[in-house]
Amino acid sequence: MEIAKEVHEGSITTQIVETVLNEANQRKARRVVKVNLTIGSLTFLNPEQVQFWYKILTKETIMEGSILEIEGKDGTVRCPKCEYEGDFKYVDDSIFHAPIPVLQCPQCDGKVEIISGKDCLIRSVKMLL
Amino acid sequence: MSSIFNDVVKADEGEVFDIELNENLLEENRRLAEENKELLKKHGVMAIDIMGSIGAGKTSLIEELVKLLKKQYQIAVFKGDLTTTIDAEIIKRHGVKVVAINTGKECHLDANLVKKALQRLNLKELDLLLIENVGNLICPAEFPLGSEKRVVVISVSEGPYMVVKHPFIFMEADIVAINKIDLVAAMDVDLDQLKTDIKKINRKTKIVLTDCRRSVGIDKVVEALMV
Repeated sequence: MEIAKEVHEGSITTQIVETVLNEANQRKARRVVKVNLTIGSLTFLNPEQVQFWYKILTKETIMEGSILEIEGKDGTVRCPKCEYEGDFKYVDDSIFHAPIPVLQCPQCDGKVEIISGKDCLIRSVKMLL
Repeated sequence: MSSIFNDVVKADEGEVFDIELNENLLEENRRLAEENKELLKKHGVMAIDIMGSIGAGKTSLIEELVKLLKKQYQIAVFKGDLTTTIDAEIIKRHGVKVVAINTGKECHLDANLVKKALQRLNLKELDLLLIENVGNLICPAEFPLGSEKRVVVISVSEGPYMVVKHPFIFMEADIVAINKIDLVAAMDVDLDQLKTDIKKINRKTKIVLTDCRRSVGIDKVVEALMV
């Protein structure tokens, strides 16, 4: 478990595996079958890299061969000035090749606060008891 | 040890159980960051997270800020690096308290490391805490530390596309320092374009031009920090 520390997909996936193993051990599970994970669009976690580390880190554990299902979740913001609550405003400049979220209120242009989108949530785990 | 998770949902298929965890892994860092923020606020300490790429001039900016402000304020510096205390020792020469934080292989500081480092300080005697993050334009943005302001340092020598290639770090930056402006001609970088790129991502951020080696623009950084 000591190998995966140099990028933060590695360390987050280490935390995922440790959390699930801990839970499985407490319940004396024989095997973990599936892990459901939600990754917010504002995190810096690339699902493909999380999958890559998951495969390596679960080797020779009761999680080996289990499915990691990753669901993406869009972020939401709140504007303290005009009370807008909802989707981000995005800059859609062709140079970025993808829309980039900005902390600007789509209604009044004020600075918004992030409500969600920075999560890495283990929602549930399917295990064989 | 009893389980921290209570909701257990029995699955349809025989022995397989679906267990609701709802364990948010990044939440713990945010919680610790809030704790740090409260602690600093209680003691009237202003903490500033200084992020930026490797070699952009984060340490030089801290040295200059210390030189300019140490007579007026009690300053401490946290110096994040994977290994070594080279920069920590450089800053220490200016006569301020420095705590070196070595992350080992981790690409960013986190709120837990900052919490530990805070225990090394006498917060009652402190006014200003400068936290130098690990040189990286990606991961530090993911981990708030509990600072009041976030500064990103980039430099002209990184070329004209540094900002558009790493947009996310600028999203929540209060101040962006564009350093090494003495090299603009040599690097053939268009400063206006860099500024436009930054403003495209974060219109409210304050942009300051600096040449830290010659102490240029440091007063402007202070001005931007104090507002």
